[in-house]
Amino acid sequence: MEVVAKAQYLTKRYHGVLAVDRIDLEVYRSEFFGLLGPNSAGKTTTIRMLTGQTKPTSGVAIVADYDIIHQPIKAKEHVGVVPEASNVYDEMSAWDNLIFAAELYGVPRKERNKRAKDLLERFGLYERRGDRVGNFSKGMKRRLTIAAALIHRPCIVFLDEPTTGLDVQSARIIRNLLKELNRSGVTIFLTTHYIEEADQLCQRIAIINQGRIVALDSPEKLKALVEERHVVEVSFSPAKDLDGQLKGLKHVSDVSWVGDRFRLYVEDASEVIPLLIDFGRENKLRIVSINTMKPSLEDAFVKITGLSPEVMATEKEHAKKGESLG
Amino acid sequence: MARIWLQSLIKAFYISKKDARVYYFKAPNFTYGFLMPVSLFIAFSIAGQINTSLIVSGLTSIVILFGTTSIEAVAVVLEKQTGTFERLLAAPVSFFTLLLGKALAGFFFGLVLAAVILAPLTVISGTVVANPVLVFIAIAFSSLTFSALGVLVSAYAKWTPEAQMLSNFLRFPMAFLSGTFLPLELMPSQLGVISRLLPLTYSVEALRISINDSAPTFTYLLDILVLALFSFILLVVAAKVLQRRLE
Repeated sequence: MEVVAKAQYLTKRYHGVLAVDRIDLEVYRSEFFGLLGPNSAGKTTTIRMLTGQTKPTSGVAIVADYDIIHQPIKAKEHVGVVPEASNVYDEMSAWDNLIFAAELYGVPRKERNKRAKDLLERFGLYERRGDRVGNFSKGMKRRLTIAAALIHRPCIVFLDEPTTGLDVQSARIIRNLLKELNRSGVTIFLTTHYIEEADQLCQRIAIINQGRIVALDSPEKLKALVEERHVVEVSFSPAKDLDGQLKGLKHVSDVSWVGDRFRLYVEDASEVIPLLIDFGRENKLRIVSINTMKPSLEDAFVKITGLSPEVMATEKEHAKKGESLG
Repeated sequence: MARIWLQSLIKAFYISKKDARVYYFKAPNFTYGFLMPVSLFIAFSIAGQINTSLIVSGLTSIVILFGTTSIEAVAVVLEKQTGTFERLLAAPVSFFTLLLGKALAGFFFGLVLAAVILAPLTVISGTVVANPVLVFIAIAFSSLTFSALGVLVSAYAKWTPEAQMLSNFLRFPMAFLSGTFLPLELMPSQLGVISRLLPLTYSVEALRISINDSAPTFTYLLDILVLALFSFILLVVAAKVLQRRLE
C-alpha cells in the first residue's frame, strides 16, 4: 500500500510542555484515517505539524513524498487543510473565496472557474455562489471551507474536527460529503473527539491521549480488544435511579446511564438476563426493553484510555454550545 | 530559481489583491488616512509653524504613513483573530511571500492615497512638479516602506488594540522628528541624529527633492536606497517575528 503521509517520532513541545510525544503513524492512499482523542490530546498539533503550519520539536513528517520540515512549500502543494474553525473570508463571495484558494495553490487560470463551479455544485452552494459568505450558516461555511481545501486536487485532506459545533443536519451532510469524497479516491485524515463519528467513517483509527498514540487499528480490531466484555442495555418503567442496585447484581462489573436505558457491562449476557427479569419483578418494575450488544468502539476507547466517553462527548460541545451527533 | 521567484511574486500579488478587497478600499480607511495628518497640518499651519515649502512633500508623506500603517498594522492581527490566517499558513507560500503580499496591498493603497492628496495640494499651493517620474518613485518607495513597517507591527501584535497602540507609538514621534513640520536644519543637533534613523525623514526629503529638481540628485538616490533597505529589512524582521510568534 502506498503511504501518503508518515510521522516518525514526531514530537512537539510548547514552552517546555509536551503536546505531542514521539508519535509514529502512516496513512495509506485512499484511506479514511481517524485520529481520535479528547480535548488537548494533541490532535490539532499533530495536524499542524503534518501540514507544515507548526515546526516539530523533533521527528520526521513526510507528506506526498516531501519532507514537510525541509520542503514545506512542495509538500503543501499536495495537501488540503480544513481547520476546526471555518477560515473563509466573510467579506468575499463563495465564488471569490474559491478563486482565491485556487490562485494561492497555483491552479492554472483556465482551470479555476471550472473547478470552482464543480465544487460549488458538489457541495450544494452553487446557487449561493455570489452571496457574501458572512451571510452563510455555520454548516454552509464549513462546506465552503472543505471545498476550498479541495480546489487544487490534493492527494490528502486533513480535517480538524469538521463537525464540531454544527447542528445535527449540517453534521450529517458533512459526514456524507466526506464519505463520498473518500469513495472518489481522496485520502482523508480526520481528527475527532466523537467516537461514533470515527467508527462510522474511518477505516483505521489512532487513539491519542496526552500526546501519545495509545492504539492504532481498524475499528473492528479495536473493538475486539474488549470482546470478553458483554453489554446488556435495559430500560425499566418507571425509570428510577437504580445504578447502585444494578451494580450489585451478580456478574455485573459496571453500569452507566445512556439516554433512558441502563448499560450493564457483564461477563456473560445469558446469565444476567434472568437476573434482570427477577430484579424487575422484585422491585415492581416493568421491563420496557432489553438488548444484548457487541462491545462498541466507545467501550474499547474507555478500556484503552481509561477516560469516560461522556467527557469526550460533552467537553467541547459545552464550549461551542452546539449539537453534532445525530 | 527565477521561476520560483516569479511564482512567489504572483502569489504575493494575489494576497495583496484579496487584502485590498477585504480590508483596504473602504470609505472609513480613506477618511482616517486623511483626517489625522490633514488635521495636524492645519493646526500647525494656523499656528504659523509650517514652512509652506514643506507642505506638499510633508503632507503627502505623512498621509502615506498614516494611511498605510492604519490598516496594515491590523491586517495580520485581524486574520489571526478570524482564523483566515490559517488558510495562508497552510498554502504553499513562504512567510516572506505572505508578508510581501500583505505589504503590497498597503503599497497600492499608499499610491492611491498619495495621488488623491498630491493632485489638489499642488494645485492649491501653485507648486509645479519638476519631475513626475521621480515623484512617483519617491511615493512608491515611501508606500512600500511604511507598509512594511505596518506589517512588522502586525506580525508582533497579538490583538487589534495592541497593534493600534504600537503603530501610534511609532507614527507620532516620527511625524514630529522627520522634518515634516519643521525643516531638519532648524532642529537641535541631537534630534537631527534621531531623525536620520527614521524612514519618514528619507521619504519627505526624496519627495521634496523630486518636486523641486528635474534630475535625481545624489541625496535623492541615497534616500531611495535607504527606503528600499528599510522595506527589505522590515519585511525580513517581520517574517522572523511572525514565525516566532506563531510557534
